Amino acid sequence: MINEIPHNLLRFILLLLAQILIFSNINFSSFINPYVFPLFILLLPFETPRWMLMLAGMLSGLVLDIFLGSMGMHAAACLLVGYMRPFLINIITPKGTDFEISPNIYAQGLPWFISYTGITMLIYLTFYFLVEAATFLNFFLLLLKIILSTAMSVMFMIIFLFLFSARKKRRFA
Amino acid sequence: MYNLLRFFLRYHLFILFLSLEVVCFFLIYRNNKYNQAAYVNVANGISGKVYNTYRSGVDYFYLRRYNDSLALENAFLREQLLDSKFDNRIDTGTLSDSSKRYVQNYTYITARVIRNSVNRATNLIYLDKGKLHGVDKQMGVIAPNGIVGQVITVTDNYAAVMSVLSKDFKVSVKFRKNEYFGNLQWDGINSTSASLQEIPKHVPVQVGDTVVTSGYSQLFPRNVMVGVVNKVKSYPEKTFLEIGVTLTTDFGNLGYVYVTKNLRKRELVQLDSLAGSIKND
Repeated sequence: MINEIPHNLLRFILLLLAQILIFSNINFSSFINPYVFPLFILLLPFETPRWMLMLAGMLSGLVLDIFLGSMGMHAAACLLVGYMRPFLINIITPKGTDFEISPNIYAQGLPWFISYTGITMLIYLTFYFLVEAATFLNFFLLLLKIILSTAMSVMFMIIFLFLFSARKKRRFA
Repeated sequence: MYNLLRFFLRYHLFILFLSLEVVCFFLIYRNNKYNQAAYVNVANGISGKVYNTYRSGVDYFYLRRYNDSLALENAFLREQLLDSKFDNRIDTGTLSDSSKRYVQNYTYITARVIRNSVNRATNLIYLDKGKLHGVDKQMGVIAPNGIVGQVITVTDNYAAVMSVLSKDFKVSVKFRKNEYFGNLQWDGINSTSASLQEIPKHVPVQVGDTVVTSGYSQLFPRNVMVGVVNKVKSYPEKTFLEIGVTLTTDFGNLGYVYVTKNLRKRELVQLDSLAGSIKND
């Protein structure tokens, strides 16, 4: 557990830089805003207490907000992710699964991670865009934006996971 | 009492979640009104440095494009020089004091864009010039090929600009060919188009008409390029035309911009308050 702290700190800085310097700088289209940053919360150890998940989520979101100049919006969305993470893991994990310390793409597998990141980003971006757009109530455009951005976010997250995950020895039951 | 305690114990996580969300929404409410953009002050310290370093690296890749746009602008400015014009005036005998004829009304401060976005509901642009360089709140910002936005906050060395691509930004514009004016506002869909509002139905507007600033807002000088009309629609149930404008500013590719400083702003503000007090009498 203690060993995980430097790992997570490093991942936090890496994701933050990737988010502010690359993904929030793409400006490809106003419909495609990929966010990889919430991966930080998703990859915290399984055993993290829920109050800590929420606090970590909110504080990391605040740091992102400071850089993106959107005070509070990402903090609120990241907090939501932190709060719902245990429920989500319960729902998508088959009973009797052997857990590693932290979620790992080689341990949990690609399908698990796609649903994990996919559902999270759908909730995250729906929440975030609704808060951001407060006055633009063009529902279909918003929906298109949410769907496209979620798809791109998941894609980049999976790439990130394959690039930076430790290939741990698989445990066979 | 016991029940209350049990309730808190049972739902303590949910209560924590709700109270933290309340804190977040308080922050959102307090800081995201564009005119109060206080958060930029916090942000400029650290993030201003990060973005500045990043931009100075990235700028190398754009040097060619910046050069092209600056060369174009130089050519345009050269055309404006009196030396490249033929004096076609017929002297009617009024003696004009050449030194007093034109007085500087706007000056320009060049600034480099260190952070930019086009895909948010309110897009902010950070510039590397601030209070120390003469930039102040409420000044306009223009690029070589069109308007960019309005300064909303300054620190000593940086300024935050609300770009035209913001849901709260409005600017008074007119057609180049006549004096009909209206408000330009972003439609929130993409970074190249905006809508022109409050143009009455009798105004002859065609696709391809040039839209320029009116100069009424004192934010920009008159006749700064804004965009080109790309769509005109008239609905019987509406009083005004629905006009779409293609913006000429390339918001995805801003390098250097000019902050416009209106030297007579104080006098105009004074006039405004005088006119207001007369109206109220």
